[in-house]
Amino acid sequence: MTPDPSRAHPVITRGMVLTVLALAGVAAVMVLAVQYTPVEANQGLAQKIFYIHVPSAVVAIWVAVPMTGLASMLYLWLHDPRLDRFAAASAEVASVFCLVVLTTGPIWGKPIWGTWWTWDGRLTLTLFLFFLLLGYQTLRAAIREPLERGRFSAVLGIMGLVLIPFIHLSVYLWRGLHPKPVVLKPSEPSLPPAMLHTLLIGFGVFTVLYIGFVTLRYGIQLAQDLREAADAA
Amino acid sequence: MPPDNGQYMVAAYIVAGVIYLGYSVSLLVRGSRARSR
Repeated sequence: MTPDPSRAHPVITRGMVLTVLALAGVAAVMVLAVQYTPVEANQGLAQKIFYIHVPSAVVAIWVAVPMTGLASMLYLWLHDPRLDRFAAASAEVASVFCLVVLTTGPIWGKPIWGTWWTWDGRLTLTLFLFFLLLGYQTLRAAIREPLERGRFSAVLGIMGLVLIPFIHLSVYLWRGLHPKPVVLKPSEPSLPPAMLHTLLIGFGVFTVLYIGFVTLRYGIQLAQDLREAADAA
Repeated sequence: MPPDNGQYMVAAYIVAGVIYLGYSVSLLVRGSRARSR
């Protein structure tokens, strides 16, 4: 049976709908952050970067990279091309979220810490993670043979996952400028309700954005793989 | 009185918006092309 590239079309459409909805959600989070949340007394309006920076970081570090690592591990075990395609899509999206974290962080840091960048454990490890994700994509672009590409990139995907506990614990292990978590911690979140609600909405919206991006990216790759298979048949 | 640093918030929102919107447009264009082939 000849592979049919149109099988990817429903996946692409789902990804497009989710992405557009999530982008509207991101705009709504920005409006909520500006209009609804109080101005923090010590940090001023710069503190509102929190509502973009933190959900982007949480989705990158607690959703996108772990999903990439998990799919990579399963790929090494099961050799299912769908897992490799998913891991590749998730890694690309993780690097976009990481880029937002690494650009909004210094813009927040400058007025609060007095510097754009410091070699603090959290910042440095997040930068390493970003480089690792770029390396992952460079590796995939460099290898043409699908099985070899899947195997080698899966190893890098798992290495990204290994970095996550160090990134999370870095604020406890090494003294630095980056603050400790205010929500993802064993005790109650230490935020006023308006700030907490906006942040939680942000977590939801950015997770949907991740799902939309990954679905769309997966669908594009699926269409390309099916077309190549159809051409080869 | 909170410090007057709203320009940093505006800059961060613009940067995040450009990155997310830019990547979305790139995916949407690639997705449309993949569907039309």
